[in-house]
Amino acid sequence: MLRALSERGLADWEALAASELFREKVAEGALVATERVAVENLPDDLPTRGAAAVLRHERIPVVSYPYEWPFGMLKDAALLELDLLLAALDEGLVLKDGSPYNVQWRGGSPVFVDVGSFERLREGEPWAGYRQFCMLALYPLMLQAFKGVPFQPWLRGSLEGIEPAEMRALLGARDRFRRGVLSNVVLHARLEHRYADREVKSELRQAGFHAELIRANARKLSKLVRRLAWEPGTTAWSGYGGDNPYGEADAAAKEAFVAEAAGLRRRRLVWDLGCNDGRYTRVAAREADYAVALDGDAAVVESLYRRLRDEGSSRILPLVGDLADPSPGLGWRHEERRTLEERGRPDLTLCLALVHHVALSGNIPVAELLDWLAGLGTELVIEFPTREDPMVRRLLDRKAPGANPDYETDAFERALSDRWRVDRRDTLPSGTRILYRAAPPA
Amino acid sequence: MGGALAYLDPGSGSMILQAVVGGVAAVAVMGKLYWRRFLVFLGVRKKDDS
Repeated sequence: MLRALSERGLADWEALAASELFREKVAEGALVATERVAVENLPDDLPTRGAAAVLRHERIPVVSYPYEWPFGMLKDAALLELDLLLAALDEGLVLKDGSPYNVQWRGGSPVFVDVGSFERLREGEPWAGYRQFCMLALYPLMLQAFKGVPFQPWLRGSLEGIEPAEMRALLGARDRFRRGVLSNVVLHARLEHRYADREVKSELRQAGFHAELIRANARKLSKLVRRLAWEPGTTAWSGYGGDNPYGEADAAAKEAFVAEAAGLRRRRLVWDLGCNDGRYTRVAAREADYAVALDGDAAVVESLYRRLRDEGSSRILPLVGDLADPSPGLGWRHEERRTLEERGRPDLTLCLALVHHVALSGNIPVAELLDWLAGLGTELVIEFPTREDPMVRRLLDRKAPGANPDYETDAFERALSDRWRVDRRDTLPSGTRILYRAAPPA
Repeated sequence: MGGALAYLDPGSGSMILQAVVGGVAAVAVMGKLYWRRFLVFLGVRKKDDS
């Protein structure tokens, strides 16, 4: 991962590289490891020609975006940014923006990747990133903490986030008295309206604005964010792993099946689609460089994130995502934010207790699901709950008689062997669930 | 991840706000800001006078 710098960018980088903060935060893992490379040694066809300098960053295994994070991840990313801002101020530096997109993850640990965000502080200027921080971090967190409204759909719908005036409109009269709302939302929206076409930078400098004010504000924001809380509570899916209706016998058999598949060879990247509490992700991750644990239920992903964070896990990335409504390409030409598969294809994919949800609740034909998985070129551990399975029956009971005729064991097996070489097939002790291990045909 | 072309509008209202919420130190800045505006209003000072 290379970064080209302009003359000014180079001067900012040199100031950062010489700082105590840089050494300390890179060592802690909070800031991405970065070194300068000699421009002469780079191939000519790189678009780095003419750059004043080129930096090389450590690679982040899988890039992710705030609209794929549960509450706790956005909160911890926001706190990391404020922490770095405060550390930067101590050394005459500042962050030029306030975007949580600058934070990525090594498993459950956040790492700030935009070294170019650090610049030398210009005395007398407020923090340019404050508005962006509000729109992409503070307001989304408030929305979920105060109103119980998930922020992910909003952030996916708008890369800029929630505007101050929009946030004010979303909050009720009672919310205005909550900590931080009057200043960061209500007053913010009003001042934004009032100063819409006015330049205030030089006026503020002349009035003696100084860095201490940025520091005081960052400390307050940090305290405020720390107090924002959201408890996952019980949803349809939490507890699904623990006291499921199939019992521990099925779970143990599944775990052994996954362990065997994972142990065949070392994998670079594992995807666990519909990961729930991450039990099988962990089994697969033991033999892999990195694993993505994806689930559509933000509550189970939140719980998984907290456990991974507290364990200091650096190899499992928990993300919120729904296969029937996946992260699209967003931004300019749909290229600034990518789909998950464009950010790294898995070499092993787990689809456990997933197919019936995609096929029966999502109404995606089974053959379509298998086509998409085949296109990834991944090996597969896939579970098929038969039509007799209690969970499948419950889903079918809600539908018209004869719905989803393609959802049959025979049809599934034919569709699977049309696209893969099926290496192993086990029926779980309950008798209504079948596991398959499959590899792309040679 | 904010490339070289990423230009961020800090927002004038957002900048003013930072001078409002900073406690005692902010009071001094805002006081001075309004005092200068008052002098400009009276014609004692020109707008860009520093």
